[in-house]
Amino acid sequence: MSESASFARRIDVLAEIVAFTTAAFARQGIPAALRADVDFVLEELFTNIVKYSRGKAPVVIEIAAIPEGVEVTLTEPEADRFDVTKASPVDVTLPAVQRQPGGLGLYLIPRLVDSLQYGYSEGERCSRIVFRKTNATPSPGAAGRNEDERC
Amino acid sequence: MLTMEGGGETPVVLSGRLDATQAAAAQAYLDRLQGVVTLDCSDLQYLSSAGLGVFLKTHKRLLGAGGRLRLTAVNRHLQDIFSYSGFDQILEIEPGR
Repeated sequence: MSESASFARRIDVLAEIVAFTTAAFARQGIPAALRADVDFVLEELFTNIVKYSRGKAPVVIEIAAIPEGVEVTLTEPEADRFDVTKASPVDVTLPAVQRQPGGLGLYLIPRLVDSLQYGYSEGERCSRIVFRKTNATPSPGAAGRNEDERC
Repeated sequence: MLTMEGGGETPVVLSGRLDATQAAAAQAYLDRLQGVVTLDCSDLQYLSSAGLGVFLKTHKRLLGAGGRLRLTAVNRHLQDIFSYSGFDQILEIEPGR
């Protein structure tokens, strides 16, 4: 079972995404303990699209239960290629006075999920990000994968 | 939704979700405070990178004036975020139950 919904590219839509995620978790019996990390990853990916992408078409989020967890797919039409699995590194050892908040969201994503895949279709100008989160303890820096032409 | 109460002589109690839609309001609230500012996070359910940015900006401003930001009753989700981002090395963080 899976369910999907479309969301306009506005920051204030985050509340609708949280409501959708909450309902999907409940309907599919996905462990609630995974919600915060899934919400975090979705927020970072979605706000990144809102801030930097030039497209206007709604973004589609699909949520599907998997054994002991969830698989989430975020599809962005009218997308430019931006591989989130290759986000710039962030030096998290710097002292406070030298720290800048920028880039932390994308940096944290692979550390919170079990897997992260990015695909881009040149022909359709469509990007697709798939991540999985389960009850298994994540290993910091879980490897991301790039799979082009998967939209 | 995020609510914030207190400050000054008492901890600031955060309740709800500190996400990108709430970051500006949270920053405006914390910008009014000076000295050692304690955030009671016992009812803070969720924090995104936008919230991290609010905490970092506030901590740096307070440090410049001899103060600092400290967080108490931090839940598991927040602890993970602080750990992976290295914020547990720059902020005083007291775990919750």
